[in-house]
Amino acid sequence: MNPQADILLTDVDGIPALFAHSAGPMRAGLVFRVGVADETLARTGVTHLVEHLALHRQGLAAHDYNGTTKDAFTHFYTEGDEAQILAYLQSVCASLADLPMERLATEKEILRTEESRRDRPQLPLWRYGAQGYGLPSYPEWGVPLLGPDDVRHWAQTWFTQGNAVLWVAGERIPAGLSLKLPPGERRPLPAVTSALPSTPAYFSDGKGGVLLDAVVADTAAARVYAGVLERALTRALRQEGGYSYTTAADHTSRRDGHAVIAAFADALPDRQDAVLGGFVDVLAALQAGRVDGGDLETVRGRAETALTAPDAAVRRLVGAAEDLLAGRPPVPLEQQRAELRAVTDQHVHAVALEAAGTALLQVPAGHSADWAGYTAAPTTSPYAVTGRRFTARDNSGCALVLGADGVSFVGREADGTESAATVLHRACAAVLTWPDGGRRLIGTDGLVVDVEPDRYGIDATALAALDAALPPAAVVPQPPRERRSFTPAQHSAHPHATAQAPAFRRRTTGQTVSLVIWGILTVLLAFVALSVTVARSEFGTGEWVVMLGILWGITALCAWPAIRILRDTRRG
Amino acid sequence: MRRMSHASAPALPPPDFEVASAHPEAAWLRQAAAARDWAAIRNYVDGLPAGTDRSFAVRQLGEVKGVEEWLRPLVDAQPHDVLALTVLGAREVNIGWEIRTSYAAEHVSREQFAGLHAHLRQAEQLLIRATALDPAFDAAWCERLTTAMGLQLGQNEARRRYEQLAKHHPHHLTAQARLLQQLCPKWSGSWEAAHGFVRECADAAPEGAPNAGLVAEAHFEHWYALKGAERDAYLRQPHVRTELAQAADRSVFHPGFQRGYGWVSVTGCFAALFSLMGDLPRAAACFRLLGNLAGEYPWDYFGNAAQSYIRHRDAALARG
Repeated sequence: MNPQADILLTDVDGIPALFAHSAGPMRAGLVFRVGVADETLARTGVTHLVEHLALHRQGLAAHDYNGTTKDAFTHFYTEGDEAQILAYLQSVCASLADLPMERLATEKEILRTEESRRDRPQLPLWRYGAQGYGLPSYPEWGVPLLGPDDVRHWAQTWFTQGNAVLWVAGERIPAGLSLKLPPGERRPLPAVTSALPSTPAYFSDGKGGVLLDAVVADTAAARVYAGVLERALTRALRQEGGYSYTTAADHTSRRDGHAVIAAFADALPDRQDAVLGGFVDVLAALQAGRVDGGDLETVRGRAETALTAPDAAVRRLVGAAEDLLAGRPPVPLEQQRAELRAVTDQHVHAVALEAAGTALLQVPAGHSADWAGYTAAPTTSPYAVTGRRFTARDNSGCALVLGADGVSFVGREADGTESAATVLHRACAAVLTWPDGGRRLIGTDGLVVDVEPDRYGIDATALAALDAALPPAAVVPQPPRERRSFTPAQHSAHPHATAQAPAFRRRTTGQTVSLVIWGILTVLLAFVALSVTVARSEFGTGEWVVMLGILWGITALCAWPAIRILRDTRRG
Repeated sequence: MRRMSHASAPALPPPDFEVASAHPEAAWLRQAAAARDWAAIRNYVDGLPAGTDRSFAVRQLGEVKGVEEWLRPLVDAQPHDVLALTVLGAREVNIGWEIRTSYAAEHVSREQFAGLHAHLRQAEQLLIRATALDPAFDAAWCERLTTAMGLQLGQNEARRRYEQLAKHHPHHLTAQARLLQQLCPKWSGSWEAAHGFVRECADAAPEGAPNAGLVAEAHFEHWYALKGAERDAYLRQPHVRTELAQAADRSVFHPGFQRGYGWVSVTGCFAALFSLMGDLPRAAACFRLLGNLAGEYPWDYFGNAAQSYIRHRDAALARG
């Protein structure tokens, strides 16, 4: 192999630079060791906002460029001629040092639009909680709250000279390139938190199909495993069974020596059970060591082709830049090829076992995976706080406990046992607050407790005491909301952050029938009452007043059930 | 019919529900299990001719009380022993059902159900491993049809499991009979699905094979689920009578009828149905075929299995 084809490590203005020779159009990127996982739940979106602001001055440039905010890395990249690349990189650096704050309001709106189109993955919050690597599950709640100083401070802390790596693919590093960034040091990778007391685990949510993620050592065998798993899923669920249309698996390096294996199979609503069963069996076959030799060769062959292609080094640049930011120097291509060639079915089997031990499965709502040996991920806390107890006014038997250390929701499970969801004040990742007094507390473990003063009869003093106890940095004020009628389901402790529970119960057939009956009765009685009201001359005054009182009273009594049904329900 | 006396006829022997009377190897298997002679059991099952319904052997072994005591450590020590995984899985299913008892659901406590489900999950996980190690092992898939039903994993999942088995064993009577149970309305299926499935099985199996007997099982299940006069009306339908006669000609009355595992229940099912619909000559032919052999299915559906067997048999033989 020509050593010229590999990645070279150099530096530009003190910033490490990775260069790979390429005859095609020049490409370059600037990568920072910062991402969503470095944020807090109450200020999510700040990195994304900085990325957008930093690119604003590019305007409608003629060449291709973009930015991406990932879990632990933020990328700026571009493709064009040497002058365009030079201008782009220098402009990004200049913008990061002096963000165009006049654009703040507009970029926030753009992020809001982007948010509305985004489908947030649920697996991160169940694995990591409402912090660190779990934050990609949540909306960018922090964006509306961020002022110019917050954004500037974030940029100066994270988008610094010491925390950046440059990569360039082309004939050479552009002459005269100078990257002026605020001083700062290399930041360590975000802490890996856990919301799972035991693995393998599962949770039930959504209708889309079955998803898996597992954390394994980041090796060549792990990459091969992801490829083999994808082929096995496709064969079992798509080609043979016809249960799924899309089946996929991939390997993403977390750059800390571990990689996340993710796999997915979609399912028609009436085929979910078979997709889940087939998925479990595909994983089990690999865990039992049944690795298809043909699959192994195909996957290895493709990976090897990619590593021997003329653009192999160029394709590795972005990953190598992240590795370098994580303190891992680039691995020579020859070594990568050797590692790949050394992968045997036993290695793949070992990865399958490792993945089985850390697996988290998302199964469609209404299904479980306990039968296959996966433990249900926690949806309740092991204890409730002690303090003042407020019982729900709807006779559901639910209660809220406001204690000195935290808040607990106490309810009953289907089997009659009492269960609790607790958010301790000191472990409150965010609290959404509404002007009507409603509070939603989200613990760092991802559990949610809704505090609805109307529903539980919580007085202003108790609410004020709660507000005072919560960490101010966790507060996320929300705009006024519609009046809501609460259902027990809304108060379940399941960690759900983005889903807005329906505000109204669906009206049942029985309720519709009784609405019609009470409605007709009300109209008839009102007619009689009205006749008496206008026919005053036929009665004595005292008699007339009494009759009016009785008749209108009965009318009101009949109208009340109909009004209740109308108010509390919506046609399903 | 019931008033008919057979006082003049020589007394017929009582029905024999012992599986080993039809298949003597059942007794040997149970003895070997009681003696913990795993090597002999392994040898026997490994030596069965290709195509043998190995669920039969697994079922015999899984019914021996106490096998779990030595099979659990054996499976821990030899996690690749597919047969051991499967027999232990079958045993766990039985332990679960012993905890649940066979009473109607309303007489079973929450703890009993929890016990059943816990054992079914244990069984399922052993069996997942068994089918993962050897996807062609019919008995493990067959047990997974039972766990799928008990754990209520769904109709499509049960079918998927059956199809995995059928890839290697297209005419597996035990598996087909279990899936038939799942496809019935009592397990969230439908009569359309149940009858449709057994017709496919009957048509696909070779002449003389017992699989067409599943047509009778489906009709028997359907008849049993009905109440009062609906039952007789059901059996009077011409298409039911025709279908049953054709199914019997293709299986129990076929000159090449194979008396493999399951033949006693299949023949008993035809006997019961022909008797119920008043076709005594055909019922008598079935009873003659049986001698005095009887399977629990279908006779335990009638309450006292032995008495019902005798009643139907004696009436049929007296007239038919």
